[in-house]
Order: sequence, then C-alpha cells, then structure tokens
Amino acid sequence: MFSVYSWVLLFQIHISQHSGRLFPDPSGDGGKWLDAHYDPVAGLYTFSSCVDLADLSGDGESRLVAGDLGCGASAMKLKVYRGTALMSESALLDLPSGLVAFFMDLHQPRIPAVAVASGPCIYVYKNLRPYFKFTLPGLEVNALEQDVWQQVREGQIDQLTLKEMLEGIRRKADVPLSVRSLHFLSLETNEMDQFIQLHKQQPIRRQTVITVIGTLKKSTADEDGVSCLVIGTESCDVYVLDPEAFIILSKMSLPSVPTLMDVTGQFDVEFRITVACRNGNIYILRRESDKPKYCIELSSHPVGLVRVAKNVVVGCTDESLQGFTQKGKKLWRTLVPAPITTMASMDLPTRGFQAVLVGLANCEVHLYRDKNLLSSIKTPDAVTSVCFGRYGREDGALIMTTRGGGLMVKILKRTATFDERDSAPGPPPAQSVRLNVPKKTKLYVDQTLRERENGTAMHRAFQMDLSRMRLAAAKAYVKALESSMAPVSSSAAEPLKVNAVVQGLGPSFKLTLNIQNTAAARPVLNLAVSFLYDEKLYRVRTPYLRVPLLVPGLVYPLQTFVECTSDKGVSDIIKVFVLREGRSAPLLTAHINMPVSEGLPLA
Amino acid sequence: MGLFDKLAAWLGLKKEVNVLCLGLDNSGKTTIINQLKPSNAQAQDIVPTIGFSIEKFKTSSLSFTVFDMSGQGRYRNLWEHYYKEGQAIIFVIDSADKLRMVVAKEELDTLLNHPDIKHRRIPILFFANKMDVRDALSSVKVSQLLCLENIKDKPWHICATNALKGEGLQEGVDWLQDQIKTMKT
Ligand SMILES: Nc1nc2c(ncn2[C@@H]2O[C@H](COP(=O)(O)OP(=O)(O)OP(=O)(O)O)[C@@H](O)[C@H]2O)c(=O)[nH]1
Ligand SMILES: [Mg+2]
Repeated sequence: MFSVYSWVLLFQIHISQHSGRLFPDPSGDGGKWLDAHYDPVAGLYTFSSCVDLADLSGDGESRLVAGDLGCGASAMKLKVYRGTALMSESALLDLPSGLVAFFMDLHQPRIPAVAVASGPCIYVYKNLRPYFKFTLPGLEVNALEQDVWQQVREGQIDQLTLKEMLEGIRRKADVPLSVRSLHFLSLETNEMDQFIQLHKQQPIRRQTVITVIGTLKKSTADEDGVSCLVIGTESCDVYVLDPEAFIILSKMSLPSVPTLMDVTGQFDVEFRITVACRNGNIYILRRESDKPKYCIELSSHPVGLVRVAKNVVVGCTDESLQGFTQKGKKLWRTLVPAPITTMASMDLPTRGFQAVLVGLANCEVHLYRDKNLLSSIKTPDAVTSVCFGRYGREDGALIMTTRGGGLMVKILKRTATFDERDSAPGPPPAQSVRLNVPKKTKLYVDQTLRERENGTAMHRAFQMDLSRMRLAAAKAYVKALESSMAPVSSSAAEPLKVNAVVQGLGPSFKLTLNIQNTAAARPVLNLAVSFLYDEKLYRVRTPYLRVPLLVPGLVYPLQTFVECTSDKGVSDIIKVFVLREGRSAPLLTAHINMPVSEGLPLA
Repeated sequence: MGLFDKLAAWLGLKKEVNVLCLGLDNSGKTTIINQLKPSNAQAQDIVPTIGFSIEKFKTSSLSFTVFDMSGQGRYRNLWEHYYKEGQAIIFVIDSADKLRMVVAKEELDTLLNHPDIKHRRIPILFFANKMDVRDALSSVKVSQLLCLENIKDKPWHICATNALKGEGLQEGVDWLQDQIKTMKT
C-alpha cells in the first residue's frame, strides 16, 4: 500500500517538473541559451559538412564560413559571416560537398585557409582569396570505350553504331563508362551528331568526385598545428593530402562510398578515420593499413556521425542514436522522436563538457550525452546544419541554419549546467536515491564467512538430512499402508477405495460409505464394515454392515444412521474399518470428521 | 558641499570612492580607465586583463579607486566578490559587438539581481564604447537592447564613447561625480 502511494507521489512530482519547465520557457531549452541572432531570410542553404568556424583574420574573432548550396535562383556561394552580418561572399563553380578551415603552413600571423570540396576538385582560399586548386587524379578509362571513340574520330562508325557499342560496354564492363559516354547515351538521336562533333577530338577522361572532406593534424596536436586534408571519393577511396605541396601522402580504399567522416589523431604519429558509407556500414581506418581495420554494420543507414572522446555516436534513418567504441563495439542505442536531419558535436573544453547535438525534422535540436537527453531547443524551422564552437568572441556559440535558409545563433549561458536526468523520460530521480540499508552486523559477516568457507560440508550435511527425512517419510508411509490406515488399499488381493459422506444437520445424520473395487477384473467377496466411535457421543444404528460382492469398477453406497446423543455441541471422529471376514487387521481405514449437531435430540 | 568636504578639498584631501568597472571582455574597460588616468601614468600597450587590476585616478573633488575586472567568461564569477565594496559601477559595452549584446544584457541582469546590489541606490554609468567603429550601435539603441529603462531604483546614465580618443568619457565621469557627491554619506 505504501509503495503504491509513494509511487503516485513521485509520479506527480515528475509531471509537475515537466510542466513547470514548459510554460515560462517558450524555446523549451530550460533557459540555457541566449538568443543572439536570428535572420529567417538570411538565404543561407547549407549542411553541417559545409560550415566551419575559424579566426580568418587573426584578430581573435572567429568567423563563420559556409558553402552555400543555393536555392532556386540564388547560386552557389562561399559566404563568410562576422557577428550578425555577412562579411563577404564569392561565387562557387560547383556544388560544395564539404568545407573545412585548416592551417596549411607555419606562417605568422596564424591565419587558417579554407578548403572547399566540389566535384573532383578542392579549392583552397587564403585570406578569402582563391589560392590553389587541387584536382583528383583521373581514373582508369575503359579500353573498349577508348577504341570505340577512336573509330568515331576516324569516321569508321556512325552514331547509332556508337550508341549500340557503348550500351554493350556499359552492360558488361567492369570499368564504368566516362561521363561523356553516359551523357551521349542520354541524348535524343537528333542531338547526337552535334555532340559527337563537339567532343570527339578530346581525350576521354574519367573523374571521380569528392563526397567528404576533413582535416588531420600533421605532426602536432596543437590547436594551430598544420593539418593535412583528408578526402573521401565516389570511387570508394580515402586520400590524405599534404597541406603544402598538395601531394597524396596516403591512399586507402573502402568497400563502399564514404558519406560521413570523422578524423582524429596525427598523420605522423597515429590516426583513426571513421567513415560511414553508403552501404550502411561504418569503417574505421588506421595508420598502419590501407584497408579498414574495424567494421560496424548498422541496421539502417547513417545520417550523422560524431566522435565524442573515444567513442562514435551515429544517427540512423530509423530515428535511433547509437554509441560505439573506437573498435566498433556497440555501447548503447536510444530512440529520438523524429527523423534526424543533422548532427554535430558540442565540445566545450573549458568546462570539460562534451555532448552531441541532433537536429530533428520536428523542428527541435536535442542535446545528448551518451544516451541521455540533456536538453532540447525548439527552432522555428527544421535545421539542416548545426555547428558549435567559438564564434565572434564567444566560446559557446551554437550556429544553426534552417531548411528555409535562415541563420540562427545561440549562446550558451555562462551559468548553464546540464543535468543528466534533466528532461530525459524515464524513472523519476527519486528512484535512484540510495536506500538506507543497515550496516552489515558482525554476526552477518561471520555467518557469511562461515558459509563461504564450509560450503561443501554444509551442502553435504543438508543432503544427508534431506535423505534421512525422505527415508523417515517413506517408512511412515509404508507403515500406514501395512496397517491399512489409509482410505485406499493397494494390496494386490483387495484393491479398494472408500469415501464417506455425512448428511444432515443433527442430531440424526445419514452416513454413506461409497466402496469401490479398483481391481481390473477380480470381484471381492466377504467384506464387512464396522465403526469405532465414542459411545458417550454417538449411537450408530447398524454398527456392523456386511458388504455385498464388489464387482470391479462399480461404486457401492452403504448407508447407516448416526445419532448424536450429546447436547453439548461437541463433535468427534468416527473411524470406519473395512474388514475381511476372519481377519482382525482392517483392510483399510477412513476417518470421518463428524459435524457439530445443530438440532436438539428428541425428548 | 558640506563644510568638511570644502575643507578637505581645500586641503587637497579628496573623498575616496571605490568604483567597479564591469563589462564583457574586449569592451574597452582597461582602455577607458587608462584614458582617465593622468597622461604621465598612462600605459602604452593594453592587453586583456587577467583576473582584475586596481587603478586610481582623481577628478576635481574625488579620488577614484577603480577595480578593473576582467570580462572574460572564466573570470566573470569574480565580479560579485567586489560588489559590497563598490560605491559606483561603470559598465562598458562594445557597441559594435551586436552578437554579444544578449550576453552583456545577461551579465547586467545578473548584476542587478545580485543581493549585494539589488536593494542599493548605487549609481551605474554605462559607456557605449567603440562608437567610432563602422556599424556600431547608437547609445539609444544600446540602452534599448539592454532594457535600461527598466532600472527604476538606481540612478543611471549612458554615453557613447571612443576610448581610443577619449571622446565622451568626461561627460560620464562628471555625471558620476555629481551622483556620488549627492549620495548620503
Ligand atoms: N575602435 C575602438 N577600439 C577600442 C575602443 N576602446 C577599446 N578599443 C580596443 O578594444 C580592445 C580591447 O580593449 P581592452 O581595454 O583591453 O578591453 P577590456 O574590456 O579591458 O577587456 P578585458 O580586460 O579582457 O575584459 C583593444 O584592442 C582596444 O584598443 C574604442 O572606443 N574604439
Ligand atoms: Mg581589461
């Protein structure tokens, strides 16, 4: 009773905590964030992989660099924001697939460069001016395809033959066709000739495109240490590029196309590249090997990948968040309330705080530490990119862009703290309060010790006693059987069963004995029934009954009347014996508990 | 001015006041105080303050002891330990830092609600500094964003300043001096 009551009480407390937080706080973040800036029409359309924060002017004030993918009429741009204002923008030639700020040299003042990956190229900007363009090496071209185009150039085949041959190559070749041939195959017949004339003189090239980009410190872990660029490509390769010479330092291959990547460590010492791939697996690459060292097979596709200290947190399309060790061992899994749009890490080293920000399609951003929800922020629109770090002069800035192109900056309050069980659904906090369990007494400890030391002996003693008890029980049973004290006789000669029914309120009772021969075929003869009772209390009308021949299986009711002679309201047992003529030991015995007589004896 | 003050002023003994100089990092607190010091005592290089530093300067009738607090996030929890001693507050705002106006407001609100400040009629002088920077907010805009009109139980005053040139500082210090002199002693 008490426990139910206290549970109800706890439940109420739990509820009121929730509602108490809901009303005075419209943004739903528990008053942990300051709204520094929101421009719903900033026209910035981007993803988490295309935003970064960096002190691009070396004045201690961090800027936001973003690769804007554009939308409809607005074109792709590289944008830089300072505080609440757009500081500069420049056109991008192609859709950006990733953007990172990194230190490419040791020059003073320490100003980072910006690398934008788009198509097969990396565009490097220094002081926000184009500085260098790196293009990935071309891929092997199909020899047959090359032959066919050679023939076209020599005028040996016409456009329809070309189309047929290319289709043949596409169907069975292990080296895929170049973009040019694929484009040709998609054309209408009337456009083909013009296309051939335009392109036939140029050599065929096959290019891959960059899908992900990251940075890897070269040899020091310093914040402003020189970093290598790490890129993943559509051709399932991962390259590490030297930051100064832009040569390929290392090439690793994956079983599938990388879509998300996290890099940690130093190239010259030890590093770890965690890549989520299009086949739904996560691979972990290490310095020593050009093949993945570990593989995590996910049950659904990854949409976000964040490293927290040594663990990896992955968001999947099945609305789940999962934690893994750096060796791929699964630690936990938790569900989120809506599809995940993007993820980012929230790392605040000055406060020793690390967590994961998860943008959701239901216009919320949730903050998780491991599987625990710490806090949630409501946003006016679903976010497509989230980035946490130093912006301006503020270390705890959260920058989000929305699906509609809005830009939002929130600043973590200096006094904000995150409580693990803050708003996480689940058991109320009181449940984890330690109970005041009394201390172990000396007696308890002594007993435990004794039990631990003499376990075998105690077990043996117990088994011995158990056997003795079983023996005693068996002996008693045998004795009962031998003296026919039970209402069932199992002797081979006369297998009998008897039960008695008493009817009436008293002082006159009717006693019916149902006797049954349980033998398979043999009838039983020469039986009699007699009663043993207290003659001061009862009088039995026929104290001796002869039993007729008992046919096996049939129930024979034998009836007699019992008169209670006492008016004291007492009752006693009447014993019924089934006897064999000429033998004094009964075949079986039944005890009848007589009811108390409720009537008065006739005067 | 009381007789004692007149006498003190005549003798060159000036009334001592403790002033707290607060505001976010990089708002220009140290630069402002440096400007207020006699030119021979001014520092050439100003670096971000660590913890706090104590500076002194004099006006026509008062001798100021200024606690120049560091505005960096990790040192802001030091501020409250000096609230009891402070007889006036100078709160400096970087009017060009629009992004952190909310942070300045948050720190100001925390200050105004502190038990050592809340029920005192302590004068607060706001310097909307860096007015020379392009796109800097006007002092009116700054006082709007900080909701200064809500301060009803304390005398306050805001001036736009350029601490690099010393512009606007004198007006503020004159106001502060008047406030302190009219305060009951
Ligand atoms: N343009 C301009 N710059 C200013 C002005 N006042 C200060 N500065 C500059 O702002 C920077 C910061 O000034 P400080 O006086 O060190 O700022 P602070 O408030 O003392 O900073 P902390 O000690 O870190 O709390 C310096 O580079 C100053 O030169 C001003 O009125 N205009
Ligand atoms: Mg200072």
